[in-house]
Amino acid sequence: MATHKTRMAPTRPYEIVYIIDSALEDAAIAEKLEKHHGLLELAEPAEIEHWGRRQLAYKIGRHEAGYYAIAKVNAAPGTLPEFERALKLDENIVRYMVSLVERVLGAPKLSDEELAARAAHDDDDDEDDE
Amino acid sequence: MRRPKKPCPITEAGIRFVDYKDDRLLARFITDYGKILPSRLSGVDARHQRQLSKAVKKARFLALLPYVKGQQG
Repeated sequence: MATHKTRMAPTRPYEIVYIIDSALEDAAIAEKLEKHHGLLELAEPAEIEHWGRRQLAYKIGRHEAGYYAIAKVNAAPGTLPEFERALKLDENIVRYMVSLVERVLGAPKLSDEELAARAAHDDDDDEDDE
Repeated sequence: MRRPKKPCPITEAGIRFVDYKDDRLLARFITDYGKILPSRLSGVDARHQRQLSKAVKKARFLALLPYVKGQQG
């Protein structure tokens, strides 16, 4: 019982996609993300990928464009409800999605040898076209 | 007479698990109206088709892909 403060809660890898109001300044967006990530009590800082502003495939409310940011975090599941509540209350966050990273997505990064092999293969294809 | 089986385009691209954020890849597997293309037309194998189906639905929620194309509002 007494150990619950000293022991770190087990964390799981999550990927969070944010669509933020594109009218916001970049600095304000970064600040906002940092503030929300504070609720997750992260041991290491979130790895954030900024896609920037892009057109939405359909209108969400009055928004036709949004600022996309993707954060990869290792968070304790218990911190999520409070975090998600804050996101829902934040008017500048148009939409968000938290998903558990169970597998590595997309194609694996190729080693140099594989890249060379692929490049050679592509060259062959080009010759065929001509 | 059976048609020869098409190779799976996703396997060929070296993709292990379909990424819902890769809208350019996903766009290849939806129809002009935005519906998910059946694997019998695209040649995607069953495992990747299941992944694709979920990925397209996630991408739609994130407004990376439309729910219905060619319609305003």
